[in-house]
Amino acid sequence: MRVAGIAFEEVSKVFPDGTEAVRELDLQINDGEFMVFVGPSGCGKTTALRMVAGLEEITRGDIRIGDRVVSDVPPKDRDVAMVFQNYALYPHMSVYDNMAFALKLRKEPKSEIDRRVKKAAKILGLDELLGRKPKALSGGQRQRVAMGRAIVREPQAFLMDEPLSNLDAKLRVQMRTEIAKIQSDLGVTTIYVTHDQTEAMTMGDRVAVLRKGLLQQVDTPESLYEHPVNLFVGGFIGSPAMNVVEAGLARSNGGLVAEFGSHRLDIDSEVLGARPGLRAFEGKRVILGIRPEDMEDATLTPDAPQARRLSAVVDLREALGSEVLVYLQLDVPQVITEDIKELAADTNAEEVPEEPAERSVLVARLDPRTRAKKGEPIELLVETKRLHFFDPATGLGIYGDGSSPS
Amino acid sequence: MRVKKDTLLAGLLISPSVIAIGVFVYGFIGWSLRVSLSKWQGLIPNYAWNGAATYASLTHDPRFHIDVRNTLIFTAFFLTGAILIGFFLAILLDQRIPGEAVFRSIYLFPMAISFIVTGVAWRWLMNPATGTRQSGLNLLFQKLGLGFLANNWHTTAPPWGIAFIAIPAVWQLSGFMMALFLAGVRGVSDDLREAARVDGASEFQVYRNVVLPLLRPVALSAIIILGHISLKVFDLIVAISGKDIRLDVPSIYMWTATFDANNFALGATIGMLLLAGVAFLVVPYLVYSLRGEPEV
Amino acid sequence: MALFYLLPVYVLVITGLKSFAEVDLATMWKLPSGLHFDNFIAAWDALRPNLRNSVVMSVPAALLSSLLGSLNGYVLSKWRFRGANLIFVLFLFGMFIPYQSILIPLVLFLQRIHLYGSLNGLVLTHVVYGIPITTLIFRNYYATIPTDVLEAARIDGAGILRTYWHIILQVSAPAFAVVLIWQFTSIWNEFLFAIILTRPDQWPVTVALNNLAGSEIVQWNVQMAGALLAALPTLLVYIFLGRFFLRGLMAGALKG
Repeated sequence: MRVAGIAFEEVSKVFPDGTEAVRELDLQINDGEFMVFVGPSGCGKTTALRMVAGLEEITRGDIRIGDRVVSDVPPKDRDVAMVFQNYALYPHMSVYDNMAFALKLRKEPKSEIDRRVKKAAKILGLDELLGRKPKALSGGQRQRVAMGRAIVREPQAFLMDEPLSNLDAKLRVQMRTEIAKIQSDLGVTTIYVTHDQTEAMTMGDRVAVLRKGLLQQVDTPESLYEHPVNLFVGGFIGSPAMNVVEAGLARSNGGLVAEFGSHRLDIDSEVLGARPGLRAFEGKRVILGIRPEDMEDATLTPDAPQARRLSAVVDLREALGSEVLVYLQLDVPQVITEDIKELAADTNAEEVPEEPAERSVLVARLDPRTRAKKGEPIELLVETKRLHFFDPATGLGIYGDGSSPS
Repeated sequence: MRVKKDTLLAGLLISPSVIAIGVFVYGFIGWSLRVSLSKWQGLIPNYAWNGAATYASLTHDPRFHIDVRNTLIFTAFFLTGAILIGFFLAILLDQRIPGEAVFRSIYLFPMAISFIVTGVAWRWLMNPATGTRQSGLNLLFQKLGLGFLANNWHTTAPPWGIAFIAIPAVWQLSGFMMALFLAGVRGVSDDLREAARVDGASEFQVYRNVVLPLLRPVALSAIIILGHISLKVFDLIVAISGKDIRLDVPSIYMWTATFDANNFALGATIGMLLLAGVAFLVVPYLVYSLRGEPEV
Repeated sequence: MALFYLLPVYVLVITGLKSFAEVDLATMWKLPSGLHFDNFIAAWDALRPNLRNSVVMSVPAALLSSLLGSLNGYVLSKWRFRGANLIFVLFLFGMFIPYQSILIPLVLFLQRIHLYGSLNGLVLTHVVYGIPITTLIFRNYYATIPTDVLEAARIDGAGILRTYWHIILQVSAPAFAVVLIWQFTSIWNEFLFAIILTRPDQWPVTVALNNLAGSEIVQWNVQMAGALLAALPTLLVYIFLGRFFLRGLMAGALKG
């Protein structure tokens, strides 16, 4: 199977009504790589995928598959296979015929068709279902047939458009691992579109975060998590989302301290070493990001320094069995920026008010042994080595000299 | 612009129809218009310019006056009858009486037969003879003791003769109206009706305040459809009364003027006027209902 | 309620009664003394050639206009290009026009291509003027086919024609049923074109019936039998395939 890399060269898509769906996307996907496009609705990820498939015309720029520029090549000659969100199975054909259709069109010999279909059916566990029609299949089965149709083609690339979003939660988790395994076994270059950041993080070799048609960051899942290039990526990746507050940076004992409301957190030298750009913000305000998982109930680690503690009253407690989520009110005004509004809109959170509220809500993920109780104060230990900082004016992460690392 | 082979093929597939409609509908309309503005009377084509003279002549034409009057009367009775009966039947059937499908089939079957067949059957039913030669409905009325209802039907002295022709027309089309209204009524979600009932409305009030207002688009469709059928009515009247001038309508006038009298200019003029009447009814309706359509 | 129910049924029964018995006008409403088919035989003899004409004319016309409608409906519902909507609207208007406004040119045109007076000319006419309604029904039906199925076919390698053949046509059976039945019924029952565009030996049954009914010498009970015969094919279609007929009817009415 000749696999190929895919390249986007300054690709833009403008729809007839003027909407700029994709803006100058420049991206190189390697041979055999599993690349995930993720982002909120309307960010352009599906449009970008469809341009690779040839289902959308490219307004500007070029797309290459392998070494070939395919911008003007019709879909059937691009040697790509697509898995659709709603499966798009041919309703009047059996599972076997659905998978065989493309090969029949290409006039492949019957024996070859049979071999490939049976092989794909085996990989996907569809052997018993080959004679059935789509309407006699469950959602999960249909999804597999859609995948089977793609596998049988032995294409240069797989294009998947939110294939799991119509499945129930449990099935989704199961299929996730299956798809990842199949892809890695077959080694086919894959672009996978999803709005679910968990899928993105678990499945992708690399993940491209898009927003309003612009590529925000493309990196391995770990890098996206550890070093988000801006507030949007920081807030999008990770669930529950990163907590953000506006804080002032002040000098203290040769280092810096972040102050917000009645709280103070030391920023130790290790952090400063990794983010020299912070020095430029001494005496100024920054946006401080604390991930819920970077906090713990202080009573469980009694000998931690005071400089890393945070006290507040528990507003709400959600016990999930494996962990406990606590929601606390901080006497610090809410941070409202464009990024945050968009993130909230995407998660269907309540309307973010135009005027910031007086108090922020902090979410923390705690060990299930915590004794936190609603209405009672609690002391949290913050893993200050893992704090995130963003420039309030631009939303960009503060690293080297104020710019992103990747 | 990258032109795709498939888009060209698509255009090619549809082009025979587009050309056909272009010629046979719009081209011919233009041609008719040209004839209506000419002096063509007789078997030899004559396209000499006559302007709107033929149109003007119709305003003094007594036969055309009869036509217009008949059309108005017919339309009034036809629309009222078909819509009212159709509506009532729809309400009746909406009560989910047993055998609904059977009733529906019965009321609808007239749509499956030709206006000619209807005309032939009703012509005998509406036989105007009285006294010893009575037959048809007149005879039936007599036998049922309703003798006073016997009358001259469509041979009644003008202008009301034409109103009786509305009866078979109503018979034929009321099933269609019933189906339309039934679909409309059924389209009013049960939730709305139940909410009204809980709010304290009686069945009648539910119909009046909830169902009826939501039927306005359906009623509009009904009026437009029946209206344009009414303007064009031809088969039925020919079957019942042939070329009887008392029951003349524009379509019959056009027919005789063109094919009996060879007065092509006059025929074309009447055709154009009929078109104008239909367009007046249909174009606003098409515009209004297509406004909601998303772009292809 | 019962009255309304009686109306249509009674009239039909009356017509039937008249046809069966050899009774005369004065005892019209009485039930027949027995079943007599003489009237039907007489009517059949009179109308047989015309019934044949109607069949030879309606079936091909219905088939051809349905096929065209399917192709058009496919293109207009699934292929986006400038003017697709405009074309559709122009077609729709064609559905409503009074035929009197195109009759003269139509006759002249058919004369020029030597089809005037023949059944072929009538078939051509019905095919052309049937395009709007058949296109409408198919277009609305095809709009319900999810676009991604067609995109999948495209990626699998099917162009516009192969997509039509392998996918669209395979699922079109219900729509064809509706359109064929609707077209057959409309064309069989049509009168205006029939009477103007055919010579007497090519008359479809609607014209022949009208002639029969208007004649002085033919017995009225034979006329009634003739009416029933003329109505029989479409009635049979209606009885057995009524639900398709209803859908065709509604499609024309609730255009959206």
